[in-house]
Amino acid sequence: MRFYFQQAFRAIVLLMFAVFIIKLHYTGDIHKLINPKYDTISQIGAILFLVLFIAQLPRIWTPVQKSNNHLHVHDHTHDGADHNHDHGYSPINLKKLVSYCVLILPLVTGFMMPPSTLDSSIADKKGTMVSLTNSAKRNQLDRSKASAEPEVERPNQSERSVGDNQEKGALDSSPNINNKGQPSDNPQDPNLYSNTVTQDTYQQIIDQLKEVDTIEMTDQVYATYYEAINMDLAKFEGKEISINGFVYKEDGFAKNQLVVGRYLITHCVADASIIGFLSEFNGGVESISEDTWLEVTGTIHIKEYNGVELPTISVTESKEIEEPEQPYLYPLNIKIR
Amino acid sequence: MSRKFPLLLIDVMGIALFGIVVYFISFSESYQGWISLPSSLYDMNTIFLSILIEATPFVLIGVLIAGMIQIFITEEHLKRWIPKNKFMAVTMSCVVGACFPACECGIVPIVRRLIAKGVPIYAGIGFLLTGPLINPIVIVSTYMAFGNDLKIAASRMVIGFVIAITVALIISFLYRTNQFNQSSITSSTVSNHQPSATSFVEKIGSMLRHSVDEFFDMGKYLVMGALLAAFVQTYVSSGALVQLGSGLASSTLVMMGLAYLLSLCSEADAFIAASFRNVFPTTAILGFLIYGPMIDLKNTMMMLSVFKAKFVLVFVGLVTAVVFCTLILSQGIY
Repeated sequence: MRFYFQQAFRAIVLLMFAVFIIKLHYTGDIHKLINPKYDTISQIGAILFLVLFIAQLPRIWTPVQKSNNHLHVHDHTHDGADHNHDHGYSPINLKKLVSYCVLILPLVTGFMMPPSTLDSSIADKKGTMVSLTNSAKRNQLDRSKASAEPEVERPNQSERSVGDNQEKGALDSSPNINNKGQPSDNPQDPNLYSNTVTQDTYQQIIDQLKEVDTIEMTDQVYATYYEAINMDLAKFEGKEISINGFVYKEDGFAKNQLVVGRYLITHCVADASIIGFLSEFNGGVESISEDTWLEVTGTIHIKEYNGVELPTISVTESKEIEEPEQPYLYPLNIKIR
Repeated sequence: MSRKFPLLLIDVMGIALFGIVVYFISFSESYQGWISLPSSLYDMNTIFLSILIEATPFVLIGVLIAGMIQIFITEEHLKRWIPKNKFMAVTMSCVVGACFPACECGIVPIVRRLIAKGVPIYAGIGFLLTGPLINPIVIVSTYMAFGNDLKIAASRMVIGFVIAITVALIISFLYRTNQFNQSSITSSTVSNHQPSATSFVEKIGSMLRHSVDEFFDMGKYLVMGALLAAFVQTYVSSGALVQLGSGLASSTLVMMGLAYLLSLCSEADAFIAASFRNVFPTTAILGFLIYGPMIDLKNTMMMLSVFKAKFVLVFVGLVTAVVFCTLILSQGIY
């Protein structure tokens, strides 16, 4: 009977990983890292870690055996003599120490450092204005292409096919979690549960956009409406819009310009992209610092930025707000039946 | 007594370990406020953890499948299944990879185990390349991300498949041995022992223990890959990178570089690619979509845990060259 320190250490690491994931779920911090749609798969991950932990336990105490004359002491009784790689019985050397240190790094940083919310400094790295102008430009090109050759491939890019595009575009491959939220009743919450709606509700959301006088960019519809507005800019010019988001500024903005935007998370924070509107105020905005959360109301105008027509909000009203509990947005998913 | 004693110890150990963990966690909470670091470091940590949390379930599943292969599939099985002919073997591995839903980090332990079991390296590579690139989830997400345009999704699959076969064939002419590095060699050479006759439950147990070893072999590379990718995302401006490319060739290279550095999961990358589709020609977008799942920063690190550094280098160079050339040659389609 012998105690193997390394095996014990490995067991602890496995357990810590499981506990770390469980803790993230328990505190809700997990939603600062991944789209809630992937909650289940990450829970499965935690369970697998626990299973491996339990499988690891018997190895901590093993009867002493004759070693094979090289570094590895085989645990024949348990491993069935199947193969011969590092079982963690060989003595610790510097290389192993380093690799263990690397492996526990995420545990150390994960427990010690609270997960942050992405802010404007990351937006800067992601080239926000490049992507905002891209989406506007893309849709304008799509439209001009469509009007030039109306019968080829994408018959009409009018708002009906926008809806079409959107609804299939939002179909999800893994319809695992779903929440039969009724967006008209409580539009702000469903984001906490993967933002999945039924086909009917979705159609309702799209129809609403055409009818309303003031476009309310709630968390649930934000991404969908954003795409729709960019797709058919002219149609929405002059409409009133109310939107919230954090402030982002870039070199080359005029004194009264800033972007009010949100992050859209498809899978995990690493694939976050920013969506938002260039906003023009009546006065200078030097006093509003980046990362301030604002709720602005204004009318949509078309403004040229770097040669691309962008939907721009002429702000009539703005107020500072607290950062919402769920700062990220998720693409709207439609439940497939 | 001698049989019960270890069991008792195991229980005690389990409880003790659990206690240590709980203690550590409650202790760490109080630390959080003490340290003040630049906020970019927190951002990097968040991206780092998010990549890890996203990838670990898939890596664990990969590791378990590798354990299963180790315990339940013998070399004789594999020998019977894999065609002797190189071309047939490569084609088969690519087709199997195309049917097998894996992601680029989960597939590495599986491929390693297969090659250790005597699957020829070129077949393993074919499987490695098509596994993450071609599978139902990726097809659907690509189709959706590009506004229900089947053309991009189809091109991604078809061109990707052709590239995978080409690379695997070239590998089959260049390499005969398994190209394992030192630590993987030890795991492969002795693997032709017959598993001693054990019950099914014991087999499951040894499969799980095998998975643990596999996880510790792979884990550190996954962590390093995620760390590097997070670093790039936090400190390197992709907006600036995008401005580098204007011509067809340079923009394709830029998009491939971006795919490599960002290390996105192949299920999510289509949405990112879609946001670039009017700055860059379709060829460049396809470069991003095809190159990313085959090789990226995270996945290169994990390959280093299996293969010799020299082989990984040649492999990365080869895939880069083949993807680039194929795309440039096939641009006439668009």
